[in-house]
Amino acid sequence: MNKEMQSSGLQMFLFFSELAGHKVVDHTGKPVGEMQDLRVRLGDPYPRVTALLMKRRRTKGSLSLDWSEVRSLNGDIIHLKEGTEAKLTAQEVRHDELLLRQDLLDKQVVDTHGARIERVNDVHLLVVRSDLHIVHVDIGIRGILRRLGWLRAVDALTDWLFAYQLREKMVSWKYVQPLAAGLMKQNLKLNVKLQTLREIHPSDLADILEDLDQETRKRIFQSLDLHTAAETLEEVDRKLQVSLLESAPVEVASDILEEMAPDEATDLLADLPEEQQQKLIQTMEAPYREQLEELLRFKEGTAGSIMTTDWISLEESQTIGEAIAAFKQTTHPLETVAYIYVTDRDGRLKGVLTLRHLLICARDEVLSSLMNTRLVSVRPEDNVDEVVEIFKKYKFLAVPVVNPENKLSGIITLQDVVEPE
Amino acid sequence: MRLYSLKSRWRGLILFLAVAGPGIITSNVDNDAGGIATYSIAGSYYGYSLLWSLVPIMVALVIIQEMSARMGVVTGKGLSDLIRERFGVRITVYLLLAVVLTNFGNVIAEFAGVASSLEIFHIPKLLSVPLAAVVVWLLVVKGTYRSVEKVFLFACLFYVTYIISGFLADPDWKVIGRSLVRPEFDLSPGKLGMLVGLVGTTIAPWMQFYLQAAVVEKNIAAKDYKLTLVDVTVGSLVVTVVAGFIVLTCAATLHQAGTKVQTAADAALALEPLAGEYCSLLFAFGLLNASLFAASILPLSTAFVVCEGMGWEVGVNKKFSEAPEFYGLYSLLIFLGAAAVLLPGIPLFAVMYVSQIVNGLVLPVILVIMLVLINDRKLMGRYANGRIYNGFAWAIGLGLIALSLLYIGTLVWA
Repeated sequence: MNKEMQSSGLQMFLFFSELAGHKVVDHTGKPVGEMQDLRVRLGDPYPRVTALLMKRRRTKGSLSLDWSEVRSLNGDIIHLKEGTEAKLTAQEVRHDELLLRQDLLDKQVVDTHGARIERVNDVHLLVVRSDLHIVHVDIGIRGILRRLGWLRAVDALTDWLFAYQLREKMVSWKYVQPLAAGLMKQNLKLNVKLQTLREIHPSDLADILEDLDQETRKRIFQSLDLHTAAETLEEVDRKLQVSLLESAPVEVASDILEEMAPDEATDLLADLPEEQQQKLIQTMEAPYREQLEELLRFKEGTAGSIMTTDWISLEESQTIGEAIAAFKQTTHPLETVAYIYVTDRDGRLKGVLTLRHLLICARDEVLSSLMNTRLVSVRPEDNVDEVVEIFKKYKFLAVPVVNPENKLSGIITLQDVVEPE
Repeated sequence: MRLYSLKSRWRGLILFLAVAGPGIITSNVDNDAGGIATYSIAGSYYGYSLLWSLVPIMVALVIIQEMSARMGVVTGKGLSDLIRERFGVRITVYLLLAVVLTNFGNVIAEFAGVASSLEIFHIPKLLSVPLAAVVVWLLVVKGTYRSVEKVFLFACLFYVTYIISGFLADPDWKVIGRSLVRPEFDLSPGKLGMLVGLVGTTIAPWMQFYLQAAVVEKNIAAKDYKLTLVDVTVGSLVVTVVAGFIVLTCAATLHQAGTKVQTAADAALALEPLAGEYCSLLFAFGLLNASLFAASILPLSTAFVVCEGMGWEVGVNKKFSEAPEFYGLYSLLIFLGAAAVLLPGIPLFAVMYVSQIVNGLVLPVILVIMLVLINDRKLMGRYANGRIYNGFAWAIGLGLIALSLLYIGTLVWA
């Protein structure tokens, strides 16, 4: 097979394992070394190989040569242009580059499309004119067999026995997030590549984090924007929550807590050592701080400890139109939108409306005339089990929590009750 | 009154389990069917003369287990994961192949343990072994293993009976002391093989994979490593003390009486000084527990190690279609292992013993790989081996290689 690259327009695929370890020869055909690794510039959707790393007999370490000095790939031999000898340099890797063998091959990557961790068995490259691009990573059994040198034998065998060939399993590079240690150590804000993780659903991202080692896990977590970090943190296992939050600087950690649902944030804070809890709360902005301090006062296993302070309430003299306006003004996602609580002027709970009212009633109708006044509410100190009973009995989506003066201090959603502690 | 004692016993169990970390659990699984068989054979054939070997074995065990645990804590990755990333796919595949075959031998040994322990109750192996295989398989697949683990672990208190029996058998302490201080050894293939078996059963290759994975799962921070160190050291000491007492007791009873262990009924006689005519019952119970405990961990750990290294989906909380390689390998190990024991006329105790010799022969390879990894500063940073410690560790590695070569040599020449 002739892999002349200069014949313009010619495109062909090849695997990294088909090149690695093969001979590099100069323009006269004299061997100059053995191809060891390829350096790749990240950033493009299908990043380009920028340099060739080769090993020479009797030389320690590897020498780097710019890819433009490669004349052609002929069979499995790499031909260099004339006069490249002087251009060989010691290897250096820029912060936006990675080495295929060192950082990718045999390492774990995140497949952001399938939302799972995979191990790279081989790298699929595309030759476009004189350039080499990464297009896929091979995560299948064929990649392993190819590298072991058994692929042909196995193909022949399965073909002979079952008229079947093992299937390729590849992930397109645009969905690949490498996790190599060197790459992770760089300033993550600049690491464009890590941004792809944002496309993973927070609960999938949480599963991925749980499967990674501590160091990588921390680095990925710290690279997330506050909102994604908060949502992901809500989904991970409790023990990990604590260690992840502890790994972030205090200011960042308190920002993340502010982004989290108040009841989730409270649960997490309650698991931290006293001293750290205080430090985090003090760093938070006033409204969040007060809210969380309020929630933290309740003992575990009581209604107060699982309630959230995230609800919509209106006064009884207000109208449906005003209620709809109140919804529109709420920018963050509420834990539940099923009920609208109605209070008197002093904040005492008077009744409840459902979403249905907002949809079917005229905009000028007054809430007090529509609301359901037969309310079931709980006290913050009530046991969670009693709350569960109420949910079972009345089939509510949320239950209000009131203090002795019948003022609304929080709500408990069905979700809060279903979630294991 | 009865209720009270039951309750306090329950509390004791909970307390014990709270303390038991990966190190202690690993060590107790380590005293599996192959272990009990090998120690019993060693005591009954060679008396006190091999007892000394357990002292260097103990030192080696502490050092090797410590390195496994340290790698787990520092890297947060399993051993096969590290091997794959450091040595590439080629070495990983062939090494894992060797590990799977070795572990398969151990799985067979566990089912041989089930068969021979229940033979004491006249339950034929055609019934006991398939039943045990199905139970073990379901335990893990149905996710009930975690709760049963505590029962297995508690039942490991059985090993105390060897210690009591050992004292009651009135052994010749002077001879024991002399053998410990001035070891005697000759290069007969029998004794060399026994030595390789003792090493292989006490420091089994699969334990290093299992321990590291267990440590990783616990998510211990590097600064909290001290607790793990205690856990691992205590575990290693306990396992060798138990091993020593099994050898000693068998020497004092069986060897003294001229019995050479061929079956579980022979081995059970070692517990006669303590349990009298009930010794077979006691032994059968202990062997059954050890066999089932290890049989539920070993195939699981093997499937885990292979899938981790190859990059296949892992986990008992996944569906079969999500992790076919994992479940496939796991099931294959259990059911083929059980099937092998059902072959008519298979000598159960010999199978258990031979599997441990294979362990001993594979161990040096794993150890060398561990040493390369733990000295890799890119990986371990300041937690790499210190110079003196490393000297000890390599000395152990070279010693084990020499022992294996010597044994293979005598096998070939003889």
